[in-house]
Amino acid sequence: MQHPDLMPLVYDELRRIAARYISRERPGQTLQATALVNEAYVRLAAERPREFANKTHFLAIAALSMRQILVQRARARNAAKRGGAPHRVTLDDRNVGGNTPAGIDVLALDEALSRLALLDPEQARIVELRYFGGLTVEETADVLGSSPATVKRHWAMARAWLKQALDPGVSSV
Amino acid sequence: MTPEQWKRLKPIFDGALAQPLDARRAWVQQACGGDEALRRDAEALLASHETAGDFLEEPARLDPSDLDTLPAGTALGSYRIVREIGRGGMGVVYLAEDNLERQVALKTLPPILGADNQLRERLRREAHAAATINHPAVATVYVLDEIDGHLVIVSEYVEGDTLRTLLSRGAMDSTHAHALAVEIAGALAAAHRARVIHRDLKPENIIVTPAGRIKVVDFGIAHIEAPEQARLTVPGMMLGTPAYMAPEQLAGGVVTPRADVYAFGIVFSEMLTGQHPLAGPAGLIPPRFAAIIQRCMNPDPNERYASGSELLAALASGAPDTGIEHTATGSPRWWWEFHQAITAVVYWMMTWPAWKGREIIGGPLGRALFIAALIAVIVAASLRLHLWFTSRFYPAQLRWARRRNATWIRAADWLFVATLAVTGVLVGEDRSPVAVVLIAVAVGAAIAFLVIERATARAAFRSSATPREEARHP
Repeated sequence: MQHPDLMPLVYDELRRIAARYISRERPGQTLQATALVNEAYVRLAAERPREFANKTHFLAIAALSMRQILVQRARARNAAKRGGAPHRVTLDDRNVGGNTPAGIDVLALDEALSRLALLDPEQARIVELRYFGGLTVEETADVLGSSPATVKRHWAMARAWLKQALDPGVSSV
Repeated sequence: MTPEQWKRLKPIFDGALAQPLDARRAWVQQACGGDEALRRDAEALLASHETAGDFLEEPARLDPSDLDTLPAGTALGSYRIVREIGRGGMGVVYLAEDNLERQVALKTLPPILGADNQLRERLRREAHAAATINHPAVATVYVLDEIDGHLVIVSEYVEGDTLRTLLSRGAMDSTHAHALAVEIAGALAAAHRARVIHRDLKPENIIVTPAGRIKVVDFGIAHIEAPEQARLTVPGMMLGTPAYMAPEQLAGGVVTPRADVYAFGIVFSEMLTGQHPLAGPAGLIPPRFAAIIQRCMNPDPNERYASGSELLAALASGAPDTGIEHTATGSPRWWWEFHQAITAVVYWMMTWPAWKGREIIGGPLGRALFIAALIAVIVAASLRLHLWFTSRFYPAQLRWARRRNATWIRAADWLFVATLAVTGVLVGEDRSPVAVVLIAVAVGAAIAFLVIERATARAAFRSSATPREEARHP
């Protein structure tokens, strides 16, 4: 499933699509991962039929790319907030929206997910595909070569564990 | 949690979920056997599951502000993004092409922040101000536009290395540095004439083109120099790069073109020595530039050159007017010069009583004392005459000369006073008038260099040196 040379292509395509949304849409609108990923697939599969013939393969890459994009931006936003670069203007923070309606801290999630990957790589993959890639249970099962029932079970446990990990009141799991 | 614990936890969790809600706890208790830790973990995880709600159920969303970098090829109005070339004070700067495939620099304000009126207003001012400057060493501003929700400034794209890159290779040859400094001063002069202050002059904002000419860019925090707009910034909002900011800028006070002059002083100094002037001892700066730089970097803005034009005049002439005029008779500096000359004369006059003292004391001691006195006289008098001469004919170098000779003159003074006093005391047993003269002069000389000289120097040189520093100089 690892095709490092295809990563940049997918990554760029996702950003390009998002940029087009920026130009068209009003600020404040957010873009759902599912929509982005699907559109990216349609375009790339048309452009490069041989490399992206396998949709599930593409979806796996896309999910990873989305995760990277979001984590990077969250880091950059944090650095700007803390005044990381000393000569930057300190703007009053008008951080409208953010990417998580439920107020999920992307960086915390990313870190917890990395820890989960050490305990259970498959569960971590599932979270990545479902949350960052916007895949359905069936699509996820397809990518992993597993059954939807298994995916559902693993998804439940991963979710529970991550929620614990992200809950500041609970000591580290 | 360890992988082993996880492995044991998994079947417990899976099994529990298969049970009806109210049977779960009992099932878990049984399945864990006596393992308390496992039971605790399982129960915690189950509780988390039961209260998870729709946690993570909705896939991630991308906020457009997450992607404030426009990828290559993006069309922005009639411009096409080629690549990002940097991040300025308030936005990203791209290399772009217009519809005639001409290269331009495109600076954007993030769309989310474009909604902030205060920042948009400042950006508009910035562009308007910069656009009124017309000078070969200033990157021209072409257009201020709003495209697809982005506020953009389109300006001349300048190819070349920044001065920072050049400086990373070390100090520059002083002739080259001077030539570039003249160009930079020219850019500042043009800006100040247009009543624009750069506010963030530094090597990163100065580009040297392949042809070796200067272009000052990113008048990004420029603002129109008008009293009613002097408070456009919010208190606490700091603009500019601290290492190059004038003291009044750092204090958040009113900023004038003299702040640019200060920054220029630092940049010029860096060009000549290869390092920031406040970063510690560096190489020696040629005297003709040292005075200019010193004046640029005066903590009191009123002591600096008033604007780029004055600075340019000082630089271009090569024999700079450093603010130390030729001495007018009766002025404080005239008195200081007089003191130097008189002291030298008196010191020389004391060689005769010293000689007499040697005769009276006799022997090797007498000889030694005389020789010591003679050395002191030669050093102190000669150096003082040197300073007098420099002050009269090379005023620009005076500050530098004073600093260089201070220690020697001071040492010679002390030696002079000591030898004269000792000689006088030794002679005094004979009650010779020579003793009186010797001791009197010793005391007089001590008073002279400790008190009188310090006063005349302080009056003559209203300098930026601290009183302690000043006290060390003649």
